[in-house]
Amino acid sequence: MTGVAAAKPAARINARKEALAGYSLIIVPMIFFLVLQIGSLLLAAFISVWDWHVVRGPVEFVALDNFARMFSDPIFHQAARNTVYYALVWVPLTMAVGLSLAVVVNQKIRGQTFFRAAFYFPAIASSAAITTLWLFLVSDQGLFNDLRGALGLNPIFQFLGFGPNHDWIGDYRTALNAIIVLNVWTTSGTFMLFYLASLQSISNEVYEAAAIDGATAWKAFRHITFPLLRPGHFFVATVGLIGALQLFDQSYIAGGASGAPANALMTIVLYLYNALFIQILPGYAAAVGIALFVIILGGTLIQRRIFGSTPAW
Amino acid sequence: MTAATAAASAAKAEVAPVGDRGRGWRRKLAYALLIAYALLMFVPFAWTVITSFKTLPDSVRLTIIPEPFTTAAWEYAFTNLTPSVVVLFANSLFLATVVTLTNLVLGSLAGYAFARLRFPGREIMFLLVLATLMIPDQLRLVPVYILFNGIGLTRGLGEYVAVILVLAVSATSIFLMRQYFLTIPRDLEEAARIDGAGFFTTFWRVMLPLATPALAAVTILQFQGTWNGFFWPVVFLKETSHLTLPVGLTFFRLSGGFGTNWPPLMATVVIATVPILILYLFFQRYFVEGIAASGVKG
Repeated sequence: MTGVAAAKPAARINARKEALAGYSLIIVPMIFFLVLQIGSLLLAAFISVWDWHVVRGPVEFVALDNFARMFSDPIFHQAARNTVYYALVWVPLTMAVGLSLAVVVNQKIRGQTFFRAAFYFPAIASSAAITTLWLFLVSDQGLFNDLRGALGLNPIFQFLGFGPNHDWIGDYRTALNAIIVLNVWTTSGTFMLFYLASLQSISNEVYEAAAIDGATAWKAFRHITFPLLRPGHFFVATVGLIGALQLFDQSYIAGGASGAPANALMTIVLYLYNALFIQILPGYAAAVGIALFVIILGGTLIQRRIFGSTPAW
Repeated sequence: MTAATAAASAAKAEVAPVGDRGRGWRRKLAYALLIAYALLMFVPFAWTVITSFKTLPDSVRLTIIPEPFTTAAWEYAFTNLTPSVVVLFANSLFLATVVTLTNLVLGSLAGYAFARLRFPGREIMFLLVLATLMIPDQLRLVPVYILFNGIGLTRGLGEYVAVILVLAVSATSIFLMRQYFLTIPRDLEEAARIDGAGFFTTFWRVMLPLATPALAAVTILQFQGTWNGFFWPVVFLKETSHLTLPVGLTFFRLSGGFGTNWPPLMATVVIATVPILILYLFFQRYFVEGIAASGVKG
């Protein structure tokens, strides 16, 4: 009895020591998170209702004027349209390519590791390096135009309205689509890895049962793999959508902060950057940031509706 | 199409020798497609290397062997570009190394605390850390810039400090470390504690050495992420002598007068990519595991 009573204060001292050790280990990271993440979120909301000067700080309280300005700003409209278009085209395309690659490299094929590594390869380079190289490849005198000429495909492109020296990113009609192709190429390997993790959770027995029932490979994919991958689809679609709505690097690298050519590459985040550093309107830029947050939140909620309830991940 | 259906129906007929031949044919076609697609992944990079050894007029021709073969573009990149690629390389290496180190230190400390130490508010704080993954990074642009501008971190050497502070510890690093610490059996720790080791000694002598795979994953992820990073460097690094390789490359093309001077640009692309390529070749497993485990990459 006395032994237990004596052990209690010792345990309490130990618990206090443990708590103290815990706090001292997390205090520095928590300061970073509280100031630069949570705090900055609140500060962004605060700045968005002010006419804010970069150096002097708040100049005049303007309530929702910054948001009103945004809704009537044709360049913001263009940015929002481009961003949504990019997300709607790029996400499904990259999912389709990523899933196809995952299904293929998940088979018992020779050189499996090599193919996996190869398909992921474009994802390791920096956005700046790969976009610069892409700008070269699809420029008016680039490899793409040379190759289609050499392969005799030019009549088809001529029919579609593109001359033999079409500048794919320089022309505002094709710029955004050229960026979409670039990003499908670089990101499908990443999506493949996500899908592979998901594919490996499907047990082989299901396929064996299907094979006994005489299902063809396509039928097995259509009726077993694809539906069973729902958590995978949800995860990839969410990560993809959040990434897509934040498109910035490729736009900036191709055309700078102005969204050249002719605002074709203007995105919401690029416009946010533009509002802060070119127009020098922090209050307005903060409002654009809040709008981005709302759009991302809305997009993920819609996606949750499409894919049903949240899977357990 | 007809061949595929024929092969499928032949496969159903089981014993027919035609089935085997059909399958072999299909298999070969599948491999041919796979190899062609894999080539598609490498061709642009090969073209970059080839172009960096060409002259400007030759760079727009569809030839695989540079004619004439010249290292002029490389010499140009090293001696004539302002800032020189050597400076850009040093800046990239410096920032990537510092950010990797801060993530290793802060991530493993916090990861250990969240995994193993009991203290009031632990769960809610860990949730808070995870919740920050949901905040789009660029939403932080205005407030963080205003904040850092106010304390002088948008001028001079402060520009480096700003980039380091904003990337110093990521939720992914903490998460990866915590998950790994959770898999280490408690017995080892308790044995150390019985021997009289304190929390810090236990962490430093017992837990950290056991967590090498997680430390490696964080190192690869953070080094690659910072080396390749574009957004925060382009926001804070305004003095040209402070630029990293990705930002410098963009600067040359957009405002440095190198719009279509492809050979030196391609040489710079190669320089920016090779360090990560080497990492990838040696530590491929960690790339793949890190991506699959974290699932958070813009």
